[in-house]
Parts: sequence; structure tokens; C-alpha cells
Amino acid sequence: MAPKRKAAGASRRQVQPAAAQKEKEAELALEQAADLALSSDEEPESPLDSEDELAGAAASGGSGSDDEEGGPGSTGVDREIENAVLGYMAAVEKRRQQRQQQRKGGSDADTEEEGAGGSSDDEDSQDGGSPAVTDSDEEPPAGRSDGSEDGEEHGGSGSEGEGSEGDARLRQHAVAVAAAAAEDPDPASDSSEDERPNRNTIGDVPLEWYQHEEHIGYDVEGRRLDKRPGNRKDRLDALIARADSTRDFLRTVYDEYNDEEIVLSKEEMRMIQRIRAGQFPHVEVDPYEPEVDWFTRDVEVMPLSGAPEPKRRFIPSKWEEKKVVKLVRALRKGWIKREAAPEKPDTYLIWEDDGKTLDKTATGLTYIPAPKLKLPGHEESYNPPPEYLPTEEERNAAQLLDEEERPQFVPTAYDCLRKVPAYASFIKERFERCLDLYLCPRTRRKRLIIEDPEVLVPKLPKPQDLQPFPVLLSVRYTGHAKPVRSVAPDATGQWLLSGSDDCTVRLWEVRTGRCMRVWQLEEPVSCVAWCPSPQLALFAAASGKRLFLLPSGTGSEEQEAATEAALQAALAAAGGTGSGGVEEGQLVSWQWRQESGGGSGEGGVLVLHKFSIKHVTWHARGDYFATVAPTGNTQAVLVHQLSKGASQNPFRKNRGRVVRVLFHPSKPFFFVATQQNVRVYNLAKQALAKKLVAGSGVITSMAVHPTGDHLIVGAEDKRLCWFDLDLSAKPYRALRYHNYAIRGAAFHRSYPLFASSSSDGTAHVFHGRVYANLMTNPLIVPVKILRGHEVVDFQGVLDVAFHPTQPWAFTAGADATICLFVNP
Amino acid sequence: MLKKKKGTAGNAVQYLTRNQALKKLQLKLSEFRRLCILKGIHPREPKKKPQGQNKTYYHVKDIAYLLHEPLLKKARELAAYDKKVRRATAKKNRDLAARLAARKPTYRLDHLVRERYPSFVDALRDLDDPLTMVHLFAVLPAERAHGIPAPVVALARRLALEWQAWVVRAHALRKTFISVKGFYYQAEVQGQSVTWLVPHATSQVLPPDVDYKVMLTFLEFYQTLLKFVNFKLYHSLGLRYPPVLDPKLEAAAAGLDALMKELAASGGGGGTAAALPAAAAEAADGGGEERGVNPEAQQRLGSLADKVKELEAEIRGERPRDAAAAAAAASEQQQQEAAADGGDAEAGEDEDFEIDSGDVEGSSSEEEEEEEDDEEEEPAAAAAAAADPTDADLAGGAAAASSDNEEEGEQREEDGERLAGGAADVDADDDGAVCAALFKGLVFFLGREVPREQLLLVIRSFGGEAGWDGEGSPIQEGDERITHQVVDRPTQGHRFLSREYVQPQWVFDSANFRVLAKPSLYAPGKPLPPHLSPFVSSEEEGYVPEYGRQLAALQEAARAARRRRAAAAAGGDVFVGEEGAGAAGGASGGALTAEEELEAAEACYAAELAKELKKTGGAAAGEEEEEAPAAAAAGRKRRAPEADLAADEAAMKDIMMTRKAKKMYQGLKKREAEKAARVAALEEKAAALKKKGRR
Repeated sequence: MAPKRKAAGASRRQVQPAAAQKEKEAELALEQAADLALSSDEEPESPLDSEDELAGAAASGGSGSDDEEGGPGSTGVDREIENAVLGYMAAVEKRRQQRQQQRKGGSDADTEEEGAGGSSDDEDSQDGGSPAVTDSDEEPPAGRSDGSEDGEEHGGSGSEGEGSEGDARLRQHAVAVAAAAAEDPDPASDSSEDERPNRNTIGDVPLEWYQHEEHIGYDVEGRRLDKRPGNRKDRLDALIARADSTRDFLRTVYDEYNDEEIVLSKEEMRMIQRIRAGQFPHVEVDPYEPEVDWFTRDVEVMPLSGAPEPKRRFIPSKWEEKKVVKLVRALRKGWIKREAAPEKPDTYLIWEDDGKTLDKTATGLTYIPAPKLKLPGHEESYNPPPEYLPTEEERNAAQLLDEEERPQFVPTAYDCLRKVPAYASFIKERFERCLDLYLCPRTRRKRLIIEDPEVLVPKLPKPQDLQPFPVLLSVRYTGHAKPVRSVAPDATGQWLLSGSDDCTVRLWEVRTGRCMRVWQLEEPVSCVAWCPSPQLALFAAASGKRLFLLPSGTGSEEQEAATEAALQAALAAAGGTGSGGVEEGQLVSWQWRQESGGGSGEGGVLVLHKFSIKHVTWHARGDYFATVAPTGNTQAVLVHQLSKGASQNPFRKNRGRVVRVLFHPSKPFFFVATQQNVRVYNLAKQALAKKLVAGSGVITSMAVHPTGDHLIVGAEDKRLCWFDLDLSAKPYRALRYHNYAIRGAAFHRSYPLFASSSSDGTAHVFHGRVYANLMTNPLIVPVKILRGHEVVDFQGVLDVAFHPTQPWAFTAGADATICLFVNP
Repeated sequence: MLKKKKGTAGNAVQYLTRNQALKKLQLKLSEFRRLCILKGIHPREPKKKPQGQNKTYYHVKDIAYLLHEPLLKKARELAAYDKKVRRATAKKNRDLAARLAARKPTYRLDHLVRERYPSFVDALRDLDDPLTMVHLFAVLPAERAHGIPAPVVALARRLALEWQAWVVRAHALRKTFISVKGFYYQAEVQGQSVTWLVPHATSQVLPPDVDYKVMLTFLEFYQTLLKFVNFKLYHSLGLRYPPVLDPKLEAAAAGLDALMKELAASGGGGGTAAALPAAAAEAADGGGEERGVNPEAQQRLGSLADKVKELEAEIRGERPRDAAAAAAAASEQQQQEAAADGGDAEAGEDEDFEIDSGDVEGSSSEEEEEEEDDEEEEPAAAAAAAADPTDADLAGGAAAASSDNEEEGEQREEDGERLAGGAADVDADDDGAVCAALFKGLVFFLGREVPREQLLLVIRSFGGEAGWDGEGSPIQEGDERITHQVVDRPTQGHRFLSREYVQPQWVFDSANFRVLAKPSLYAPGKPLPPHLSPFVSSEEEGYVPEYGRQLAALQEAARAARRRRAAAAAGGDVFVGEEGAGAAGGASGGALTAEEELEAAEACYAAELAKELKKTGGAAAGEEEEEAPAAAAAGRKRRAPEADLAADEAAMKDIMMTRKAKKMYQGLKKREAEKAARVAALEEKAAALKKKGRR
């Protein structure tokens, strides 16, 4: 047992620092575990306290080194210790000899006796332990552990030679001293170098040889080591010893070899416990301390050696060469036979999994198979049906073509198979196919395969189900001499006004087609418009720079009178009865119409503008009307009030050339169409509400839906745009169906119809149903193409208007006629 | 946020131009091309072309795929080897050159086959080009000038023969077509249509402006592919691969026969046990005891037996066998004969294939032959019947349907049976079975002047047997079993009365339409009826030539006969006649609906009126020419307002379409119109020709 030997080796030490105590306790615990199987919990804690008290002194006494002699303690004390130890050693040897003699008899029961003896020794030492504590207490200056003091005292007493009782006590104390002497100054060190030499020098011989001798062996100097009789205890002794010293007994072990008892220190005990728990014996050992990788795989920046690469690294090895030569010779002579690698069979079952197709290619890209070649048709036959053969003319025509345009393959007929020659460009075609396969870029194209083209046609209700709408040409109004620019049916639907390039405005009876009245004006009439006021029978006609407000003469007497009165009031309010031009600073000049002269309202009123007017439109109430003079730049749009005879220019600046203006049927909105886009102004707020972008073409016409939420705009790019004003500034639908520019557009007042007319001589009528539900889009269905006019000088139908109550449509043509289309 | 750097994502990093690829791979252009061909890598079309419009783009992954190709290393090794050899020869170091010659690095393309075609079906889908190429090279001269090595040509020839032998053996051929370019064949393999083109047997002109290296590179891969495909196909039939080519027959240019013999031996000798599993299951009584035997050993034994038989035959000399013996031969003897004669083996196997007893089958076919022979006694009558077969059939069908004229019905039935050929009692809907049995019981003799290889392929894969004028033929010209002699010469000197003399086109037409066409139409020296492409579907083409309609009518009749047979076998009275006749009528004339008839009558009336007017006017000349336009004009006048209305409606529909839809719609309409115009032109031409012919 290493600890025992260590303890034994250290027995001659005289200095016993505080650490020795711990060792003793540990040894005790070892013994206890081995023989008595006592738990270490039973170990009394009292020694620890004393230990602690003494720790400071021990530390100051240079407890670290055992070789040191003396220290802070006085020399007198040292001498005492020396004496005690020497005496004790003598006693121990004597006891040992005795014990070996006792053992001579039964070597079998050796261990048992040993154990029993050990335990009895322990008891003894324990027994002697308790008084020792008191002793130590009495000697405060002693810088040693109580154990050592015990030893010293008893050693001292032993040397004095006390009685039998005292002898026993001596024995105990001697063991204790020896154990104390066995203290290891460096408990962490367990190398064999640190082990002290045994007191006994008999070597590794069976101890039973000395069983019956008086001595246990010899010391270094060859002197006998006598058995110590006190060390060998019978059971009773052991029990008594145990009862006496509970503290040390459990930690005391008996070293048979050196014939001494060793008390293990607490530190040693803990070490043993740690070993038994499978831990490192020393607490200081950190198994997980960070590893320092001294030999890393990373190449350091600085090489260990700066020496250049030696030449031998670059020249082929001579020895290798020799070896190679040898091998080559052996191969040549056939001494070494190389076995050819087993060759794979030429063909084997490469596809074992059957019927499975994998989508993935080896690259992970989609596999694009090469398109297959077209399969031959009848014409490729060696004997095709005669209709597939080119006729003489066709052949001649092909001859006349360019080399590249000529058909690649010309069907040929042979009357029997044996006459068919080799196909001259067979190899060439195969080669081209090869080139296609590896040189042509491939892409996957998604192609829509449509069997029946009719599925592309949108499913719309049939026009027949959407009746009524104008279909038949009913009346043709003839009388104008030049293209009719504008038509306007009155609110009752009984009368129709038309203005033409022949400088006349004509009033027609709708049903009969009779021209009721003709107004001869000075310039071509570009626009006519009825005043919507039900009290008045008045209309406006734009002719050159003049705007005429003329009583139509179609109303009742009250209406006539009211009209006259209104005109007079207007002129009076305007305050201008002059007949000259427009004055400086004035927008327009309100005058009586020259023809009528006088102040009567019979002849109507003339509103003279600075620029030529192209369009006039009334507000729904019939008091305001607006005129458009596209060339007017800043004065392009003028709004006039009939009742006050006032004119105003609402826009100081117009972006682009204004073409058309419109009043919203119910709300205070004003639509201004320039050539590019339509602006919607809020008149109440005097602000721009919306800007509608139609398309690329020049806007030519505009109409607003009776509800005021939808607008159609016709343009010269043949496009008719339907704007849903609630939806967006872009057209809900842009329809392109006319072949030439659109000239006119109109909504029906009550029926869900709208129409457009174009220079291509047609007018298209649509069913345009608008839903009150905001979620449903307007339904637009083309229902009829009206053809009643001829194209004259690239002008077809110049204007279109709907009858106010009936589903009828009027079209004004460039062929100087007006057509009325009715439903059957 | 930092702006993304240009050229770090998207097409710019996904695609490389060809030059970039070359730089990356460190290859010469020719090497790169070669690798691309072998690996099947093709340029791709990126959506955006970061390096410019007129460049070729490869996908980065494709190039990376090339980069990891073992062949790349091999190519470099080969280059290094070439350099060594060059150097050795230049230094007149003969030893080294000789030693190097034995150590040329080799490479294999197996892994490429597997990579490019992960499954067998993939390979079958792409088999058209390989087959055509291999068939082309099989007939090319091994020219030094163009660097076409002889072994490559030999291998191509061999692979072509192997493929054809499999097609014959599996009866996979479906369509054939003699084109100006060559012979087109279409086979059905595992549900995939494989089409290939074989050039005419005359010598090919090698154009100088063709890069034969490129073609040979393609061929190299194609041959590897075809080897594995053949192996798989042979494996599925339980045959050994590669089959042994009979050198004697090959030398005698017997073509397919050189291979077929061995196949037949292995198929016949081993019983059906080694062959198709289905066939094996059906022939359980015959092949049951042999099933346990190792098929390979069986094949060996079979080929041995074949050898013995051959020797015997040589000893015995060429003695004509009588037909009766052949027909009534016991199954064992038949097997032996099969060993000697590929065609016989086919017949034997077919009998196994039928569930009905083989004896009945044999006798029926014999009867059929006799009937045919009888008919041949009166060629004039047959010719008369053939002159307008549709009318006859139509009349017959109508008669049978309306009145109970038994004789007529029987006559028609017999006609159908005759048309159906050997496949009379095969399920009409099973195209494969019909094809396999069409020429069953027919024995062909091929003249010297007909393309033997092509005809053998067609005849045998459609179930017939054939001999030829030349060395190695299993049947001699004088054999009485011969039913058809295929000749292609202006006049036939000596004629056997017991057989039909037909031109080669008869075989192809019959095979295409699954019907035995009228042999009298194809008599030697006579102008042939047109040869029609089987790849044209009448709906897509929109126009069916007249002869096509006639053949379709015959086809319907044959189908009806087959159905009748099937019904009779089932024991029920099923009126198949009406169906067939109806179909025939529909096919021949095109049913006239009442409306159309009315219209026609009106047009006729108008034309007559016009004619009368003309006559009164005194314009007698060219009245026929005026006839049609007058009728057309009358129609136009009557329809004018309606047409206007319709046009208006169409225009209005157009209005509400989106631009894209409108474009598509107009495109489709245009295509339809073009097709209609083409059909109209063809019809017009045909009518004109007919009129001319009548005059």
C-alpha cells in the first residue's frame, strides 16, 4: 500500500506541519473503508476545528517543506520532538518483532489477525487521541497538529518508561507520531521519486520469514528493527482503543512491513474518496483546461527555418529509379504478371428500372428534347397521287423564282420502285439535322393549342336579346347642299335641327322629313344645340366667330314670348347693342342679330367672339352655355349666362387645344377635352377634379352618360374610350373598330345605348348598360352597324345623335343628308 | 441601400457564351463540340442576353456538368497520346510507336447513355435519329477520303440488322412508307412510336461539304445507345445478345435472314418458355416442362440443332417440300423446320400465340389459299371487282341490310375474309395482333430486282414468310406454297398460275392499311395506284386522295369481317355488316345530308336555267366551263344580304376581344383558311385530272 509506505518512509521526519494531520485522517478513512466498512460520515469533526485554529501558525512555521528543520519553533521543542521520535522508533521496532513472533504459527489467518490487529491498534490510538487534544490545547505555542503533539508527549513518556498501561498508551502515541511523520509536504505529488525509503530494508520478501523473529528487519545501517509489542493488539485491546479514541481510530491503518500504524490525514481521506468516486485524486487537476495546440495545421507566416528548399527535393530519386528499373525488367521478363482489370461487358442491362421516367436530368435543368422531324406526307411518296404533283405551269413558275425562294422539295413520281434513284441530299439532310441537334439553342415554349378558334370569341348576349336599338333607315332628310356638321333633336323629339357647311341651319320635322325652316347664316355652321330649358324655344348655333341664339319658333305662344323676353333681358343685361366688333378688354360682344335689325327678339341674338367657335353646349338648366374656340388659346372656353347676358373666361390658361366641353348633367362638374386628355373641373370648388387620359389620338368627340358617371371619348386614332369616372383615370374599355377617325359620339337619354360615328361612313350602335351596383362593370355589347351615308372627300358620318324618347338615331353625313334609323 | 452591382445575378451569371465556356473548360472548339455532342448539351436561349444578341449561350450548369465529365480527362489523355505517337514517328522511333500503338487510351460511353436517358422510355423517345443515322452508315462506303472507318460501318450494319430482327420478332412494325428519300418505318415499342428512315439501296453520293467528323461523333454515341437499347429489347424477349450473325448468309446478302435464323432457332428451340412471358403462359402445355431449363443453355442447344439441321439440309440437297406436309406437320417437326427456316418459325409461334387450336387455323388458312387460287382462275372477274371495290361493297352491304339476300351477304363476307388476310380471326381492335397476323399463311417469293432487305422486314414482321431469288433462300421459286411473287420488271416471263404476281408496293400498301389489297391493281408492268403516306391523318390534312378512300373502305370491310369472325366465335348473332357497310359508305361517298342535297339541287336548277339562257343567247361553246361559276353567282346573289349581316356580326364580335385574343383568333382563322385553300386546290386539281383522264 503506497500510502502506508509513504507514511513509513516519512517516519523519521521530525517536522510535522499541519498538512500531516489531514493525511492521517485520510489513511484512517481508508482503513475504515477496507476493514470496518464504516462510513466516513461518522468521522468526528472536532479535529478539523483545532486544525483550523492552528492553521495560521502552521503556515507561518513554513509547513511547506518537510526537510526544513526547526522553523519558528524554539530549538528546545525540536529537541523534545527528536527524543520522542527516537524513543518511539525503538518501541515500534520492538513491537514489530513481537508481532512477527506471534504470527509464526498461523500464516493462514494472517490477514485476519492483521485486520483485527489493525483495528485494535486504531482503537488504541483513538483511545489515546482524546487526551492528546486536551494536551495540545494546553500548549498554545506549539505550531503543530494535535497528532504530532500526542506523539511527542507520549513519545516522551515512552522514553521515560512508564508502566504497562503507559506502555500501551506509548504504543498508540508512537504510531500516531509515526503517522504524523508520514505527512507528505506536497500532497499533489504522487511520483515515486517523492516516496520516502522504507524504514525496513528487507526488500520484497515474504514477511512470514520474520514472523517468529524478534525483529521485523533491518534499517539502512544494518541495525535490527525490533518488533514493537504494543502494536499488536488483541480484539479487546482494539475495542478499548476504539472506544477511547473515536477520532483517530477510524483513520488509523497498520503497516505490517514497517510495523507501524499510520493515521491518515483528512486530505488523504478526501483523496481516497475521490479515487473511489472515479475522479482525479487531486482537486487541482482540471481535466477540461483549454488545450493549447502547439502543433497546428495552419502554416505560420514565418517559417521555422528560412533555409531554401534543398536540391534533393527537386531531383528524381536515384533509389526510386533503381527500383523502377528493377520492376520494369521484371515486367519485361515476365516475372511479374499484371492482371488486366476485369473488363466490363460490352453491353449489359443499363436500364433495370422499367417504365419509370425521371423528370430530373443529371444537371438538374429541365430536359428539352429535340423536336422530332416532320413525318412525310403524300407528296413525299415515290408514287404520289397525281394531284400532289406540280403542274407544268407551277414547275415553270418555280423555275423563275430565286434559288432561295424555290421550294426545297418537289414531289416527283416514278412509275415503279426499281426506277427510284438514291436521294441526293440524304446525307446532307442528316448532317443538317446533326447540326440542329447540337448547335441550335433550345427553349421550352408554352403553346396554347386551340382546336376551335370560336372559344376565343367572348360570350356576349345576342344583339336580338338587347332590343330595342336603331336598325332600319327610316327617313333621309335631304336639303343641305354641303356636309352636315351637326344634328340636334329637340327635347320633345318632334323637331330636328341641323347645321351644315352650306351656312344654313335647318329645322326638320322628324317624322316626315320635311324641312320646316331655314336660317341662312354668313359662315358654315359647325354646331347647333337646343336650349334645354322647357320654358324657351331657343337654340344656339355656332357659325364662324358668331354664336347665334335663335328662337326656333316651334314652341307654344308662351314659349315664344318667354324666349323673346329672355333674349331681350339678356341683351339688356349685357348692355351692348352695338353692332361693331368686340371691344378691347371684352371677351365677347352681345348684339342683336343684324338681319332682324330692331330691338325685337324675333331675329335672335348674336354673340360675337374673337375666335371662331367650333362647339357650343348648354347646361342642363338652360341658363348657362359654353362655347369652344380651339384657336382661342387663353380664351378658348367661354361660359355665358343667358339671363344676365354675361360671359366669363373660367380658365386663364389651357393646357393644349380645347376641343370639346360638356356640363355634367346633375353635378357642378365641367368636362374640358383637350386634344390629348379630358379634365374634369369641379365648378363649386373651382378646382381640377380629375384628369382622364384617353390614348394617343386627338380627341374629336365626347359624350357623358345621363347619370354623369360615365364618359365616352372618341379620337382620331379610331379608338372609342369608355371612362368609368368612379373607377380610374384610364379607360375602362378602349374599343377600336372604326376604320377611320371617330367624328361623333352620343349617349341615349333613357335607353342603354350609345353610338359613335366615323369617317369610314358608318355609325356603330352599342348596348351600354350601367349598373347601380358599383361592383358590376358596365356591359358593353356592339349591336348594330348603321350604314346610310357615303364617304365624300374622306368624310363619312360627321355627327350622331339619339332621339330623346325613342330608340332612334340620327346621323349627319358628309353626303349632305341626315338619316334617321329606327327600330323595327 | 446599396445598389446591386451589375452582372451579379440573373441571366448574367446563369449563362455563358461559347467562348467563355471554352475558356473555362480549356478546350479547343472542336473538342468542345465533340463533348457537347456526346453529352447531349445544347445551347440555350436566355431571356436576356447579357453578352449580346448574336452569341451562343450555354447554361452554367451544363458547362459545370461538362467540367466534371471523365471524358474530359480522357480527351486530354488522348491528345497527349497523339502527341507522343507523332513525336515517335517523327523521330523514326519504330519501337516506341509500336509500343504506344498498343497502349492507346480507350474510353466508353456507357455512362453517358445512362445519364442522358435515365429510363428506357426516354431512350426510346429519342431513337429516331440514332436509327436513321445507323441505317445510313450501314450502307455508306467505308471511305478513306472522308475518314469513315470500316469497323464503324460494319457495326452500323450489324446494329441495324439486330434492330430489324427484333422488330420482326416482336411484330412491332406498324407503318411503312416508300418515299423519294427512302423507306420510312414506324414501329411501336413500349407504347412509343419509333420512326426511322432507310435510304434506297442504291449507292450514296458523299457530298464534299459535309463534316463527316461531326457525323461520326454522333454515330459513335448513337451506336452505343443502340447497343444498349437492343440489349434491353433482346433481354425482354429472353434472347441472347449479341445474336450470332451467320457469316455465310451475310455474305450472300441475305440481310435479315443471317440474324433471323439464330433468333428463330433460339425462339423455336427453346419453346416459348424463353420468349415472351405472355406467350409462355398461354403455351403452358407446350413449354411447361422446359420452363425450368436455363434459357441460355436452351439457346445454345437450339443453335446446335440449327447447325445439325443445316448440315442435313446440305446433304439432302435442296429438295422442294410439299405444301401438305408443311401444313400438317406435327409441332415437333415444325420446330425443327423452324430451326431451318425463320419464316416457318414465325408461323409456328403465331400458332402458339393463338388460343384456338392450331389445326383449325392451318386448315382455314389453307382453305383461304384455295379460295384465292380459285379466284385467280378468273382474273378478269377479280379485276372487275377491284375496279370499283367501294361500289361493290356498298351495294353488297346495302343489299344485306335491306333484303335477306343470303348469297349476296355471303359473297360480301367472303370478300371481307379475303381482305382481312391472315388476321381474319384476330381481334379487330388489337392493332398489334392484326399486324402480326396480316400476312400469316402467305408465302412470298422476292425477285432479284426488288429491295430484298426492306421487303423481308415488312413481310416477316407482318407475319408472312418469304424466299428470294438468290443464295441462301429458304424457299425456291418453284415451291408450290408460294402465294405471292413480288416482281418489279416490265414483263413477267413464266407465270405460275397458283400465285399472284405483284409489285413491291402491294406489300407496303397492304401492310399500311391492314388489308390485302387487290393484287390485280399491282400487277407487274401495270401503272400502279398512288402510294399514300400512312403518317397523314385525314382530319389534319383535310384531304383524302381517292385511292385512300377506296383503301379505307376495304379496311372497314376487313375490320367488319374480323368482328364477324369474333362474334361467330363467341356464338352470338351480331350484325356487324350494317356497321361496316355504313362506315364504308361514309368513307367512300361522304354522307349527304338533306340540307346539302337541297342546296345541290338548287344549284343544279340555277345552272340549268343559266344554261338555257346561254343556249338561247347562242353561246354553246364552253358551256361546261360556265356551268359552275353561274351556279356560284346565283348562290352569291341570293345570299348577299345575309352574308353582309353575318360579316357585320363577325365584325362586332371582334370588337369586344382583347388585342391578344384577336390576334390569335385571326391567326387561327388564317390557318384554317390556308388549309381550306390547299384542300380546295388539291380537290380542284384532282377533279381536273379525272376529267382529263375520262376524255
